[in-house]
Amino acid sequence: MLIGIDVGGTYTDGVVFDRGEVIATTKVPTDDKDIKASVLQVLDRLLEQHPADDISRIVLSTTVVTNLLATGSWERTAVVLIPGYGLPADAYGISEDTFFLKGGIDFRGRELEPLDQAELEQTGRQIRSAGIKRVAVAAKFSNRNDSLETKAAAYIKDNFPEMEVFLGSKISGKLNFPRRAVTTYYTALTSREWNSFVDAIEEALAERGLQGEVHILKADGGTLLLDASRSLPCETVFSGPAASTMGALAISSDKSNAVVLDIGGTTTDIALIIDGSPLYASKGASINHRYTHINAFAVRSIALGGDSSLTASPGRVEVESFRRGVAACFGGGAATVTDAFNCKFNLNIGDPRLSAGALRELAGQAGMEPEELEAAVVDTVIGRLRDSIQNMFKEWENEPAYKVWEVIHKRKFTLDKIIGIGAASRAIVPELARVMKIEPYIHRYADVANALGAAVARPTLSVSLHVDTQTRQYNLDPGGVKGSLDNAGKFQMEDARQMARRYLEKIGAERGMKSYVEESGFFMEEQFNMIRGWDSSGKLFDVGIQVAPGFIEEFKGVKA
Amino acid sequence: MKPSGILFFPAFDWAITPTHPEREERLLYTRDQIFEEGIMDLPQVKEYQPGLAAPKDIARVHFCVPDIPAQITEAHLVSAGSALVLADAFMQGEIKNGFAIIRPPGHHSMSVSHGNRGFCNINNEAIMIEYLRRKYGARRVAIVDTDVHHGDGTQEIYYNDPDVLFISFHQDGRTLYPGSGFMEELGGPLAHGTTINLPLAPRTTDTGILYALDTLIMPLLEEFKPDLIINSAGQDNHYSDPLADMRFSAQGYAQLNARLSPDIAVLEGGYSVETALPYVNMALIMAMAGIDFSNLREPDYVPERMKESAGNLEYIKKMVKQQLAAFRQREEVIARNRKTDQHFHSRHKQIFYDTDYIHEEQSVKLRLCPDCAGFRLIESTAQHRNGQYYRVYCISIPINACPACQAEARSYYGDLSGNSRYDFIYLQDRIDDEYRSIDTGKDLEKVL
Ligand SMILES: [Zn+2]
Ligand SMILES: [Zn+2]
Repeated sequence: MLIGIDVGGTYTDGVVFDRGEVIATTKVPTDDKDIKASVLQVLDRLLEQHPADDISRIVLSTTVVTNLLATGSWERTAVVLIPGYGLPADAYGISEDTFFLKGGIDFRGRELEPLDQAELEQTGRQIRSAGIKRVAVAAKFSNRNDSLETKAAAYIKDNFPEMEVFLGSKISGKLNFPRRAVTTYYTALTSREWNSFVDAIEEALAERGLQGEVHILKADGGTLLLDASRSLPCETVFSGPAASTMGALAISSDKSNAVVLDIGGTTTDIALIIDGSPLYASKGASINHRYTHINAFAVRSIALGGDSSLTASPGRVEVESFRRGVAACFGGGAATVTDAFNCKFNLNIGDPRLSAGALRELAGQAGMEPEELEAAVVDTVIGRLRDSIQNMFKEWENEPAYKVWEVIHKRKFTLDKIIGIGAASRAIVPELARVMKIEPYIHRYADVANALGAAVARPTLSVSLHVDTQTRQYNLDPGGVKGSLDNAGKFQMEDARQMARRYLEKIGAERGMKSYVEESGFFMEEQFNMIRGWDSSGKLFDVGIQVAPGFIEEFKGVKA
Repeated sequence: MKPSGILFFPAFDWAITPTHPEREERLLYTRDQIFEEGIMDLPQVKEYQPGLAAPKDIARVHFCVPDIPAQITEAHLVSAGSALVLADAFMQGEIKNGFAIIRPPGHHSMSVSHGNRGFCNINNEAIMIEYLRRKYGARRVAIVDTDVHHGDGTQEIYYNDPDVLFISFHQDGRTLYPGSGFMEELGGPLAHGTTINLPLAPRTTDTGILYALDTLIMPLLEEFKPDLIINSAGQDNHYSDPLADMRFSAQGYAQLNARLSPDIAVLEGGYSVETALPYVNMALIMAMAGIDFSNLREPDYVPERMKESAGNLEYIKKMVKQQLAAFRQREEVIARNRKTDQHFHSRHKQIFYDTDYIHEEQSVKLRLCPDCAGFRLIESTAQHRNGQYYRVYCISIPINACPACQAEARSYYGDLSGNSRYDFIYLQDRIDDEYRSIDTGKDLEKVL
């Protein structure tokens, strides 16, 4: 049996899934101040019906890191940047405690300028006198050569032992220094808090006698063993939309082009599925208006949901971005979006007479007929959702391309269906689909698809290798592993592929996902000949291999 | 404030030959640098997706012999099309300016294209300009060619167009390909003075080039009042370029673009793939986006080594004075040239295609019209690399031609249609946006 728990903004949901069926569900209000308590409350309710011995795997999708980053209630943290030449210092206003060090690395990983020891000492003293104990260090091109970061970190650790230091090269090997610096900073901000959450969960699970694997759902729709997540707290952001997207894939399971609409109380998350694969944010997850190197689904969140409140003024009705409570049909008193759809389309949700009553009252305030008001609300809601979906497509179609082949074979896209997730989707999605002339898809598990998606998601892992046969250096991501080649003269693409694959197998084993390594595939293979004069002086290889998001082996779909 | 539009199309799967300067690797380190800097994430910058040029966009500028598919690859359609994407974004007010970091380049391509010249098959800037004139009615355009090589293709295309000011500074043609771009090349008889060349001595530095910018190029633009300023932005003036011998730096490029403030810049040459291009492309993006570029420089840059000699500065001053005068006399000269009873002005030309080893013979007739800048009739012969020999006849009607010229030019097309003396006869009518060709051997006409 599998357990999936999804911590949402309003509710925390949990499911027990076994042999194609959801056999138990539960739901509690989320306590933002104590996420652990909400998780354990759901877990305990599920365990009341199903003994711990039967649970082989638990996956948690949590908002611990997301909330910490959103509220800004973190410990003061320094950012030490080694940017070299290029953009001006004011391009990097990451933290109020940002320090700059001399030193430079170029795109080939060559050191252009060393660190300035005196400046490093002085920076350390400044950080200490500010009372700061967490330090993120990031150098431009540290993904090609981490030596400056490593030296700076070693010096800080030796001379300022009270400080905890985080290195950019350990966080991401992708190009984009500002995103690497921001991600390292966010890691420093959340690391200790995330680790104490992990400690508490591990302890609670042990108390309950749970022996199965425990995973965390990541922003990329894959899972990570709870223990392995300790060094990568930021990977857990936006796991809610990841859960609903994986849930949508789990209940629809085909290769179509679809839009996933997870309609909650006051927000709707929109994600795209293209040829059966979820679409990723091309610039990485954006957290607090800053791009990061966190691989996340491209999700657009809009402040509109089933509980969104309605406000009337003479001649018009507004759909608000907040909620006053549940829909009138569920005894909430005031009219909501759900009530308007309930009446207009005779959906028989809850007590439709309560919907009608609340809407009549509102129509009175607006000086409109109730039918007129319902139609206005429906038009507004459908219009906003449709525009958001269309804008997402436009953005996706406008993604840059860097090869002739990619431009010539420009992606063409027709939408096959809208997959509704979340309770309110039953009310809204059919009408949206009718207006957009596509098929609606609302599964019987739509209400619990998030937790279900978490329960059955498999681990993911992406490994990238950069090889320079002239400098004989290679760099591996994740982990910032580097080394030198002993067969640089003969090194070919096949060698690069094998090397990347070996590293994937090694980390895969460490992360307890050996069985999925077989299903890995190369997502990037680039080779450039370096010509100096008219002769070849070496080759550059970039190879990427991944275990893409998918489902665990025992998941064979849901029963219809 | 609107962002600057950047379109980065490195064509990582296109090369002339594996070891050619125009190879896959050319913009690789530029990619690494601009991606690592994260400059595309800044609000001052908006990245655009490449587009595809249509055959008609090419026919508006070129007579491709025998036809368009024979002269281009898909890469050329993307490169030219990408310039059009930025041009649209600019004209539709989405961006304050745009920089197309694209390859293959184009500024050595002339009206008639028999093959690859100076790494170019079709002229990206001219295709963009004619597209802008057609679609948005832009009329007066200035092109500043900042590539180290003379932009002879662009010059030839606009040599007889008084509404296009073409300014090129470059390493002196006596010391560098393509061996043209001298002071006296000032434009055709009815477009005199709107072609301005500044052949610079080898090893000219930032100081010399920026002096020419401030004292010649900026005043010319001021007086010409173009609707659009295009930078034909080569990066081979850089001190580390392997194909040329100048002393321009990334700071120099940044200063130049900040002061020139082009509406659209289109990458041309530049072959110092590691030492110059990553930094020069950053310099251009930063300058165009209004980002402080004082912290940008090449790792090996030593300003002391780049001092301008007093003698060279004196030499540039003299040229600047002469070219300013030539520009300011243009109307007089044109008026004088118009007073003729000759119907046509004729010239014979030989054009060499260095990349493809093609020798083209051309005879060009320009209609000396009293009311407009005339139209061109070009007879061209060349043996292509595949051994095929072509004799073609090209009729080119510019967008600003008078109705009489248009009618006369079109009548030649009608008269010649059955003439088997030519393998192909082409009509380029930019007024009606109609492009015809007749394959006389097959008696087959195509219309775009
Ligand atoms: Zn050039
Ligand atoms: Zn005329």
